[in-house]
Amino acid sequence: MRRLTLLATAALFLAATPACKRQTAKVETIENEQPQLASAISAGDPAHAVQFVQGFYDIEQGSWRWTRGKFSLTLQAPPGAAQKGAALELKFSLPEAVVKKVGPVTLSAVFDGNPLPSEKYGKDGEQVYQRDIPAGLFRGPSVNIEFSLDKFLAAGAVEERELGIIVQSAALLAK
Amino acid sequence: MSRSRFFVLWLAASLFCLWLYWPGMKCWFQQDDFAWLGLGLNVHTPAGLLDALFAPKAQGTIRPWSERAFFMGFFALFGLDALPYRILVFTTQVANLGLLIAISRRVTGSTLAAALAPLFWTANAALGLPMSWTSAYNQILCATFLLGAFYCLLRWTESGAWRWYAAQWTVFLLGFGALEINVVYPAIAAAYALLASRRHFVLTLPLFAASGAYAILHRSLAPGTREGPYAMHFDGSLLSTLATYWYGAFGTARLASLEVPPWLSAAGLVTPWILSAALGAFLAVRLRRGQWAVLWPLAWFLAVIGPVLPLRDHISDYYNAIPTLGLAVLGAWVFAAAWEMRLAGKAAAVLAAGLYLATSAPVARATVRYNFERSRAVRNLVLGVARAHEIHPGKVILLNGVGTDRFWAGMNDKPFRLLGIGDVWLTPGSESTIQAFPALGDVNQFVYPAAATLRALREHRAVVYEAAGPRLQNVTQTYANMAPLRLKATLPGHIDAGNPAFADQLGEGWYQAEGGYRWMAKRASLRLGVASPGGLRLFLKGFCPTTQLSGGPLHLQVFIDGQAYPPVAVSRPDEEFSFSFALPAVLKNKDFVEVVLEVDRTVVPPADGRKLGLAFGNFALRRP
Repeated sequence: MRRLTLLATAALFLAATPACKRQTAKVETIENEQPQLASAISAGDPAHAVQFVQGFYDIEQGSWRWTRGKFSLTLQAPPGAAQKGAALELKFSLPEAVVKKVGPVTLSAVFDGNPLPSEKYGKDGEQVYQRDIPAGLFRGPSVNIEFSLDKFLAAGAVEERELGIIVQSAALLAK
Repeated sequence: MSRSRFFVLWLAASLFCLWLYWPGMKCWFQQDDFAWLGLGLNVHTPAGLLDALFAPKAQGTIRPWSERAFFMGFFALFGLDALPYRILVFTTQVANLGLLIAISRRVTGSTLAAALAPLFWTANAALGLPMSWTSAYNQILCATFLLGAFYCLLRWTESGAWRWYAAQWTVFLLGFGALEINVVYPAIAAAYALLASRRHFVLTLPLFAASGAYAILHRSLAPGTREGPYAMHFDGSLLSTLATYWYGAFGTARLASLEVPPWLSAAGLVTPWILSAALGAFLAVRLRRGQWAVLWPLAWFLAVIGPVLPLRDHISDYYNAIPTLGLAVLGAWVFAAAWEMRLAGKAAAVLAAGLYLATSAPVARATVRYNFERSRAVRNLVLGVARAHEIHPGKVILLNGVGTDRFWAGMNDKPFRLLGIGDVWLTPGSESTIQAFPALGDVNQFVYPAAATLRALREHRAVVYEAAGPRLQNVTQTYANMAPLRLKATLPGHIDAGNPAFADQLGEGWYQAEGGYRWMAKRASLRLGVASPGGLRLFLKGFCPTTQLSGGPLHLQVFIDGQAYPPVAVSRPDEEFSFSFALPAVLKNKDFVEVVLEVDRTVVPPADGRKLGLAFGNFALRRP
């Protein structure tokens, strides 16, 4: 009984040792904002995260993001795009699980409301979607690009999330 | 066992525990922690305190020592400094290890078994979560009460001193405040008496009366659910659930998901079978010799796991945390017995123990590591928002890129109210990147309306932070530049009536928002966006002060798209009310519904002068 009492006392003492209310620790934020959007963005870079607008899941392994069936992003027009046009480039990976389950996948894009030619991908692995964008489509400093897949893994098919492709980067390259 | 030997064993077990679970000492808060931490925020009266401490909460739990008093008391003392909470968890576990040594020595008669039982239990993967998530402290504290009561029983059976019998009762009864599983203690005590000390058996039977009374009280306060993950199934699934927990009790079930060498992963698959065979062989030999006491550790496992077996659809690894204590004693007993054999027996014992430690401890460590990293990410989010609020006082804080894990671990349970910060929201569209878990909550309730976002940015009333990185980054200007491109001013499917940001969706008949609510007059209207029709219900929540019910229950009639629904009665004073209504099969408009609310009378408080109907908090369209 004495040992039990000792035990309880020791536990209470240890618990009460730091019994003075400490100031809640501070976690600093990053306030110095980048002045403008980037024309080339990496899925794994938190500094670019705000430009991955919709349909992207969390950054994984610091380098890529799963998408849903529809996803969109915003890019800064590169210098001279309004005069010479630019090239849109989306680097992604088509996972084996997606191809096995749904077969070839067609990726379509709408550039600031203007549909771009779509492309069909039948093999899994690294892929690039690349399109020339005429100068006339650049009407402002930045553009919104909406992508959609004709087939993707519905929520619950493989995991609970709806899954499309794995995006690594997107860019508007100056000509 | 001499006192000095006991303390050496205790120190060794405690150091092993501290080493294995060290990241758990540095864990911050997550998920339910915030709900428990906020429990005291609404306590203003002694009656409110009693209610906060003892009223049944989620799934009918009543756990004043391990959850409510613990979180409320520590929050009052230490605020959001997680270290004292973690110290208490570890201290309690160290006490458990001491009790386990003392009990194992007495039950098995072996000092070696007494030394190994705490090591085996500590290395069990089921302890990973309780040692790294403060809300799971109930498991650790419940073990303390069960072990403490049983230790007193052993001392009573040894000495015959009635003070130990009385101490057993006291500890047992107090244990109900830690976790409902405490109800099984009489089975543990009776099993021991029956198997090892039969003349004390009769005096263990009154313990069942206390458990029975508690069970009746608990059922009356918190009736069980018939649907969902917490529904109980008394059928053949009991056996399959038991098999799952038995296999999981060896701690290797999750080994394959870790980055370990393939041979270790393969070893993890066979470990439960090998160890089960070893335990079975030991039991068979000892039972043939008439040593019935060897069944007691098994009885502990079965008694403690028993109450969760009907929860077929809610199998959790950490439910094995207390049951495996019995298996640890049994395993240590087997090892000690094998150690007395020839070299082959010793070698087999070392091999089996090594196999167990090598496959279970990494899972325990990985669980702690995962919770450490997860909770630190939540810490950066919550305290980052606190800093942002300090830098931009009075502004709405919009978080972009929060992601699935951090939302459910660090936002869903509303941690910001603990810091007195109200206006923290997700940016519009965030809901598309956060995986939905309807059982946990509704992401949409946290999303700031697109129209209000555009307006707040235009008027410089909001700051936007990107949360995808380890630290929050102010991206207000970038987001504001992109906002007109990315945001379509669609109508949200929910309204936080107490928040001015949702004023656009309210029609006639509403007063100004106040204290998180908004009063309606006799009749009021609102508009909710419909993203995808079919199977939707309108859920509404509000609050009814006593003054409104001075003339009896108040009747509320709801009209959706012009269709009248039968009136519902609001009759409980000073409480929140909630109702839900199925939407008409065909809606007049594709994108939204009009909702009209009407009460049968209003009250004019003398000092107020307004005609008040009911105060509303939330409206939401969602599927049940």
